[in-house]
Amino acid sequence: MTDYTICIFTENTIGLLNRITIIFTRRRINIESLTVSETERKGVSRFTIVIKHESREEVEKLVRQIRKIVEVMAVFGYLNDEIVYNEIALFKVSTPLGSKPLDVETINKEHKAWVVYWGLDYVVIEKTGNDTEIVDFFTYINQYEILEFVRSGRVAVGKTEKGLVEYLPEAEWAYYL
Amino acid sequence: MEAIASITSDVIETTPSASPAAPTLINGSHALMKALVAEGVDTIFGYPGGAIMPVYDALYDYQEQLNHILVRHEQGAAHAAEGYARVTGRAGVCLVTSGPGATNLVTGIADALIDSTPMVCIVGQVAKKLLGTDAFQEADVMGVTMPITKWNYQITDADEVPEILSKAFYIAQSGRPGPVLIDITKSAQLELMTKPFVYERCRSMVSYRPRRIPKQEQVEAAARLINSAKRPYIFVGHGVQIAKAESELIAFAEKTGIPVATTLLGQSTISTDHPLYVGWLGMHGNYGSNVMTDNADVIIAIGMRFDDRVTGDASKYIKQAKVVHIEIDPSEIDKIIRADAPVVGDAKEALKALLPLVDPNDHTVWRNEFRKYDAIENEAITVPVLTSTEGKIRMGEVIDMLSKKTKGEAILVTDVGQHQMMSSRYYQFRKPNSLVTSGGMGTMGFALPAAFGAQVGAPDRQVVAIIGDGCFQMTLQELGTIVQNKQPVKAIILNNNFLGMVRQWQQLFHERRYSFVELQNPDFITIARGFGMSGQTCDERENLSDALDTMLNHDGPFLLEVIVEKEENVFPMVPAGASVSQIRLK
Repeated sequence: MTDYTICIFTENTIGLLNRITIIFTRRRINIESLTVSETERKGVSRFTIVIKHESREEVEKLVRQIRKIVEVMAVFGYLNDEIVYNEIALFKVSTPLGSKPLDVETINKEHKAWVVYWGLDYVVIEKTGNDTEIVDFFTYINQYEILEFVRSGRVAVGKTEKGLVEYLPEAEWAYYL
Repeated sequence: MEAIASITSDVIETTPSASPAAPTLINGSHALMKALVAEGVDTIFGYPGGAIMPVYDALYDYQEQLNHILVRHEQGAAHAAEGYARVTGRAGVCLVTSGPGATNLVTGIADALIDSTPMVCIVGQVAKKLLGTDAFQEADVMGVTMPITKWNYQITDADEVPEILSKAFYIAQSGRPGPVLIDITKSAQLELMTKPFVYERCRSMVSYRPRRIPKQEQVEAAARLINSAKRPYIFVGHGVQIAKAESELIAFAEKTGIPVATTLLGQSTISTDHPLYVGWLGMHGNYGSNVMTDNADVIIAIGMRFDDRVTGDASKYIKQAKVVHIEIDPSEIDKIIRADAPVVGDAKEALKALLPLVDPNDHTVWRNEFRKYDAIENEAITVPVLTSTEGKIRMGEVIDMLSKKTKGEAILVTDVGQHQMMSSRYYQFRKPNSLVTSGGMGTMGFALPAAFGAQVGAPDRQVVAIIGDGCFQMTLQELGTIVQNKQPVKAIILNNNFLGMVRQWQQLFHERRYSFVELQNPDFITIARGFGMSGQTCDERENLSDALDTMLNHDGPFLLEVIVEKEENVFPMVPAGASVSQIRLK
C-alpha cells in the first residue's frame, strides 16, 4: 500500500464535499485524512485527501473521476516525496499534584512539541509533524496519562516553484488533455 | 453540443414598468418560466404537487410558450424527457414536486447519466425555513441525486434563478451531456426577486470547460497509428450521434476503407446496408463483429466507453491491438482499456481534424474476413428464425417484418431484455438517430414513456416502441399520457409470459431453475382500450403481417400484442465475464 495525497481545487459551494467523497465511497477507497480550507484565492477551496492504495493506475482513474465534477477546477495526485506535508496533533495530558513532572526540555528539544495551554491539573501539548513523528511523540508522552488526543488531517504543498493555485483558473492540465 | 439556437437574443430582461424608477419585479416562479423560455424550451414533462404549486401557477400564464405534458408517474416524466432529448439533442425538461415527486425521478436520472442524455429536472422543495425539519414531503433530493447527476443545485433565493438555470442548461447540454437537477424551495418560488430579471446564456464556467476541439498533436498521433494499421477497425459509440458526426464518420470510414461496428447505443449511426458496416458489438451483438476484435491491429474507438457488455472480460480484451480512443470525457480515457493514442474532444471535431491526415485505403481482404462470420451467423441463427413455420411467432420475425414495412426508417424505442436485443439484431436501421434504448442502466419500463417523449420530439417520424410483457407493466399507466396528448405512438408488446432474459440466464446458467420469472399477465388490449387506445392481439404467424399493417396504418396510437414463443433465446451471446472470442451461437 502506498500513500497518495490528492489535492483538489474547487469552487466553494455547498454539498461539494459530499460529491467528492461519493467518488471514494463508490470505489470502496477509505479516506485516511481530509482537510479543507480556502486558498489564497478567494472562492477557491483546497481539499487535501490522503488515501492508501495498491495501484497507481487506479489512483489516476480516481483523480480523473474527481476532475469530472463540475465545480472541480483541478486535481493533483502526489506521492509523499513529491510534497511537503504536516499534520498537527494536540495532547491533553493529566498533571495532578504529586504526579511525575513533565520533562518539558525533552518535549521541546527532542520532539519539537510545545505546551500551548496550562490547565489546573492538565496541560495541552501541540505537536506538528508527519505521522511518524506524531506517533513517536505519542509513544513518548504515553508514560503520562493522556486524557485526550486529537490529530488533524494532512496539509500539503507540492515541491514546485509556484503554488499550484497560481495556475488557476487558466491552467491547461497536461495530464488530462 | 451546440446550444439551442431558437431564441433571438442571448439576454432578455423584464419589461420595464411605466416608471423607470420602479422596475417590475417578478417572483421566483415567473423567473423560472422566463428562464425556460429564454433557453428555447418548448416542452415540459411534469406532475404538479404541493411544493411546486407556485411554479405550476406561473405555468398557467405561459401555456402558449411552454407545452406542459402531464404524465401519470414522475418516472414516466423522466423517461419521456430522455426520449425527447435523445431524438432532438436538446435537454429534456422535467418538472415535479418535492419528496416522492423527486424520488420518483431517480431511476430516469440515473438512466440519463449513464447514457449521456441531457436533461434538466426542476423539483420543488419545502420552504427554506423548513429545510432539514422532516417537513411534509421533504426529502434530501440533493443528497439522493448527487451521485447520479452531472450537476445539482438547490435554489433558496429567487434572485438565483436566472444564473442557475442558465448554468443548468449549459452543463446538461455541453461536453458529455447528462442530467442536471435543480431543487427549488417553495419560498424561492414565491418571493419576489430583488432586481429586474436579466437572463444571460451561460457559455463557459471557470471550473467546467469541456474540450471540443482536440489537440492537433493528439490527432496527428492518432492519424499515424491509423495509417500504419493493417487490420484497423472502427468502434462507434453513442458519442458520434450526440456530436451529430454521422456524415464525418462515414467520410472517414469510406476514405480509409475501415470496417465499422457499433455499440448498442451507437446503432443507426451508419446504415446497416452500408458496405463498411459489420454489425454491433457486445454480449448479444453480431458474431463477426465480436470475434474479429481479436484480429484487429488498431482499434479506433469513437464516442464509446468500453462498457463491460461490450468487452466481456476486459483483461483479455483486444490485447493485440493498439487503441485510438476519441472521447470528449477525459475520465473515460484509460478507464477500462488503455489508449495508445487518446484524442480528447468532440467526435465531430476530431473526425474533421483527422480526415485530411489519414491515407486513402482499401482493406477489402480484411473486411471480407468479417463476411465469413456473417454467413455462419446467418445459417446458424438468422435464417432459421426468419423462416420459422412451426411453433409460436419468433421475436425476430416481428422485428424483421416491422423493419421491412417501415423501410428501416422508424425510430425504434425499446425496453430492456430479450426484445431489446432482438430489436437490435433484426431491425435494419437506415436513418441516423433511430434507436432509443436504455443501454447502461438497463431500465425496465423505459420504452413506453420514452417513445412518447421521442414522438413529441420528432413529430414527423414514425415511432415504434418494442416492449416486453414484464417491462410494459412497469410503466403502462403512461398509455393515458399518450392518449391524452394524441401522440401516434405505436407500441408492440412481445409477450412470452416471462421475464425473458432472466429466464434465458436461468436456463443457460442456473440449470433451468426458473425462479420467479413467469408472469400471469392481464389482458393488455382491454387495458389499452380502457385508456382509450386502440389495439389488437396477434397470436398466429399468418396474421402478423396484417396486424402490423393495421398498427402502422392506424391514425393515432395503437397497441399491438404479439404472442411469441415462450422459451426463445437470444443468440449470439457472450456469457458474462467471458472473453468476446468465447461468443456462443447456441
